Amino acid sequence: MKELRIPIGTGGVLTRRSVIAGTAAAVGATWLMTNLSGCAVVGGAPGAIPLKFWHLLSGGDGIKMAGLVDEANSQNPSFFATQTVLTWGTPYYTKLAMASAGGRAPDVAIMHASRLPGYAPGGLLDPWDLDLLAHYGVTEADFPAPIWNAGKSEGRVFSIALDAHPFILMYNTDIAAQAGVLGADGQLIDISTPDQFVDVARKMQAVTGVHGLSYGYLGDGAQMWRLFYTFYKQLGATMTLEPGTEAVVDEDAAVTALEFMQLLLDDTIATASGDYATALAEFVNSGSGMFFTGVWELPTMVTAGLPFDARTIPTMFGTPAVYADSHAFVLPHQNDPDPVKREEVYVFVSQILKDSIAWAQAGHIPAFLPIVESPEYADLLPQAHYANAAEILNYDPQAWFTGSGSDFQTFFAENVQSVLLDKTDARAGFQGFVRRLNVLLSKPNPV
Amino acid sequence: MTTTVQSVAAAPRQASRPARRRHRENGTGWAFIAPFGVFFLLFLIVPVVGGIWLSFTGQTLTGRGGDFIGIANYAEALADSDMWRSIGNTIWFTVLSTVPLIVIALVMAVLVGLGLPGQWLWRLSFFLPYLLASSVVSLFWIWMYNPQLGLINSFLGFFGGEPVAWLQDPDVAMIAIVVTTVWWTVGFNFLLYLAALQNIPEQQYEAAALDGAGKWRQLFSITIPQLAPTTVLLVILQVLASLKVFDQIYQMTGGGPGGATRSTVEYIFEAGFTGYRFGYSSAISYIFFALIVIVSISQFTIMNRRGARS
Amino acid sequence: MSSQLLIEERSATSAHPPAFTRKPKKARITPAGVGAVLVLALLAIAWLVPFVWAVITSLKTETDAGSTPVTLVPASGFTFDAYAKVLGEGNVLTWTFNSLFTSVMITLITVVTSALAAYAFSRLDFSGRRWLYAVVIGAIIIPPQVLIIPLFYEMLTLGLVDTYWGIILPQVIAPAMVFVLKKFFDQIPIELEEAARVDGASRLRVFLTIVLPLSRAVLAAVSIFVFIAAWNNFLWPFIVTNDTALMTLPVGLQTVKSAYGVQYAQSMALAILAALPLIIVFLIFQRQIIKGIATTGLGGQ
Repeated sequence: MKELRIPIGTGGVLTRRSVIAGTAAAVGATWLMTNLSGCAVVGGAPGAIPLKFWHLLSGGDGIKMAGLVDEANSQNPSFFATQTVLTWGTPYYTKLAMASAGGRAPDVAIMHASRLPGYAPGGLLDPWDLDLLAHYGVTEADFPAPIWNAGKSEGRVFSIALDAHPFILMYNTDIAAQAGVLGADGQLIDISTPDQFVDVARKMQAVTGVHGLSYGYLGDGAQMWRLFYTFYKQLGATMTLEPGTEAVVDEDAAVTALEFMQLLLDDTIATASGDYATALAEFVNSGSGMFFTGVWELPTMVTAGLPFDARTIPTMFGTPAVYADSHAFVLPHQNDPDPVKREEVYVFVSQILKDSIAWAQAGHIPAFLPIVESPEYADLLPQAHYANAAEILNYDPQAWFTGSGSDFQTFFAENVQSVLLDKTDARAGFQGFVRRLNVLLSKPNPV
Repeated sequence: MTTTVQSVAAAPRQASRPARRRHRENGTGWAFIAPFGVFFLLFLIVPVVGGIWLSFTGQTLTGRGGDFIGIANYAEALADSDMWRSIGNTIWFTVLSTVPLIVIALVMAVLVGLGLPGQWLWRLSFFLPYLLASSVVSLFWIWMYNPQLGLINSFLGFFGGEPVAWLQDPDVAMIAIVVTTVWWTVGFNFLLYLAALQNIPEQQYEAAALDGAGKWRQLFSITIPQLAPTTVLLVILQVLASLKVFDQIYQMTGGGPGGATRSTVEYIFEAGFTGYRFGYSSAISYIFFALIVIVSISQFTIMNRRGARS
Repeated sequence: MSSQLLIEERSATSAHPPAFTRKPKKARITPAGVGAVLVLALLAIAWLVPFVWAVITSLKTETDAGSTPVTLVPASGFTFDAYAKVLGEGNVLTWTFNSLFTSVMITLITVVTSALAAYAFSRLDFSGRRWLYAVVIGAIIIPPQVLIIPLFYEMLTLGLVDTYWGIILPQVIAPAMVFVLKKFFDQIPIELEEAARVDGASRLRVFLTIVLPLSRAVLAAVSIFVFIAAWNNFLWPFIVTNDTALMTLPVGLQTVKSAYGVQYAQSMALAILAALPLIIVFLIFQRQIIKGIATTGLGGQ
């Protein structure tokens, strides 16, 4: 050890000392500030049961959710819920699964309903006690059937939906008026065929001089899947993914859907190479008249002060259908749940459902019918203009690997991006995706 | 390796061998070993053996599929293009990062070794990042690389350059990760070079000076050759460390965009925890382990041959 | 840089080493020397910029931090708001405590068990010593990254996921530290111990009263190395903790996000706060830490 003489700085002792003194002072100040604000850390009334609540909502949604949690806490002094936000998508779902497997999971969490098949059958979630839920005023009758059923797995209910958030069509009312595509009611004229949609888009393009439609998909499997699946389901097609067997798909319908998307991405109707952020910015800056997007972007438009309206994506292929998902409350598996705490979770969830008019302001369609049927919601525009989407929504095909933020969407992107960007053969692209699905289906279901 | 280990531990006198003692001390010996031994057994041997067992089963995170399935996992892994891509990414990262980590450290050490004023500042600047946790480093650099608000693109913009999507563009993401890694860990290599510089006998420089060799010449004829053992050692350490890369990649790009930066350890993590497949993930782990062992052995072989020659 | 002398010594016969040393007495600065300083300064700036930029950002308001064009001096002045917000949420202090607690425990257990084992390997003659030592040394090659899945599975079985012990126990095995310590113990003259043994002192007593006091430096080096490694470890604590109340600093920083979206000033304030403890420790124990990292880090590898 002696042989390794490590040279240590010689000069600058004074500097070093002063730096140390400086940092020490900073640390002291830090501790002081902490102690002063320490009381804010532990919240709730004395004796309030702490609830750990996980979700993946950030930005506009996160702020709204924080407000709902604060409201629920102040309404119910018996508990104090603390929200923890994790990175959206894979990191969140990976951690949720690990926490549930470990048995010391958070008390309540939000999941996408489409992810349920990857969690519930494997025992990673605990089922809801419907009687207890009814005791706190939440029953099956309070939800649209498709939304409620998306929370069921093997006959039991594992998730209680907070909302449905479909893929919708937003449009700039000023541009639409100039293009002459507004009806007498001030809303976009009826569109019932692909040609009519293209026609409307071209008219808007003539007004903006840039594009008629904004749609960002580059490097974003979720975006490609949302629009594709909307058209695919409008064509009346189905997709069945059963482990151990090959995927059952309607290839012709898929090709029709993809070729229509290719048609739209012609650099005139819409840019051929837009990503999510670019498309959003283009629509906000009136570079286009229409925008395929999720309801969650509604606050962005409101903030931007854009003259806009929104509607359910028009039925162009015969069958009314849109892609959607739901944020839903789940009970991550705990080895040893505290019954008192569990009951407080029911109070917490019922409270948030009853307050979910605030959630509707963020653009989402509340799942809780008493809210949707309330006069306040009917007055909420443009939310009320796409409320009917809740009746025709389609979740991802069920399999342990599908759902929002899953590998499924990544695989879709890997095979379909070149179809949309470079206009390669749609059939070959879709077949590549199906081959990938078949590889996954040939493996044993880990759940 | 040998050289440094000797320099670290070279004994002033040959240690007396315990074998000299007449009676054995089995009880005492095992009692001294016991605390370490228990942990060693429980948290190293058990997982090593357990991992081998897992790799022959279809075990999942949810507790299902614990049945023996033979070499199916290994067969699947060897045909898994994602695994090979992750190994390719890992090797690419190793190649890209090793050279700058050695060369920049050497430049830093030689310049600081000149004894210019400001010693404390130089040493602190170069070594400090090494003390940071990976999460801190990632936060710093995600911010530096921010396409709109980042300092790097602002700097480029100042000179009329186009903004670069450092972490979002598959063509540059790995380079961005390498730059961050060099910034983070070069301090360790710098430190070792600096230490090695101090050990070069002064007489060599004096003799060279007498022979009329200039300082620049001395650098190439004395300093760099004398640092060769350190360089070899650092290359070995660096390659082994780089092959195990996970933290900064997971934190900065999550393996993206489109898997362009996904390392092998990250693939192990994803296969096991995101895909729930413990058995399959264990199989990849052992394939990866085999790769590391092969790299280590070949490095030692090359080094020993070199050592024997010189 | 030209190939001329970097620094010219005033006296050629100086007793001081002519070049590449740290103490050039009365060196005359040549143009090349200036060039060297310039290169060094550029490197140092490049290495300090991410720090400085993080500090500057952390002292801005969120609006200033998120606005273009990027400015050094923010429009609405510098403020400690981001720090106050981050500290007000309380997570950082919990995580700092967790980091401190787990790192201290890991260091204690590792150093105590490794030192005992190393002493036994160095001095005690017991059956199985040779092969056991071979196994321990061989284990140095096993990368911990390879064991994440089986270790997590083991923790599931033992019910240790989301517990302090789950974080600590798998990190206390350091075969490389046993190696470093054994090599050191080998160097201690055996006569010192034999005298005590003749007086009837037990092995443990000899170890505690004679060997340990002589090994203070190496124990400090090992402790520092283990502590820093534990403090900065990400992968294992990240895998075994999901409960935010149990996370260490690196894990919490990476895992927990703000509900309000990306808050640039606050995330830089968090990063600075997380970096601070070790930087302060380093400034105080610079000498020991550098020595510790260089010696044990090397021996360890």
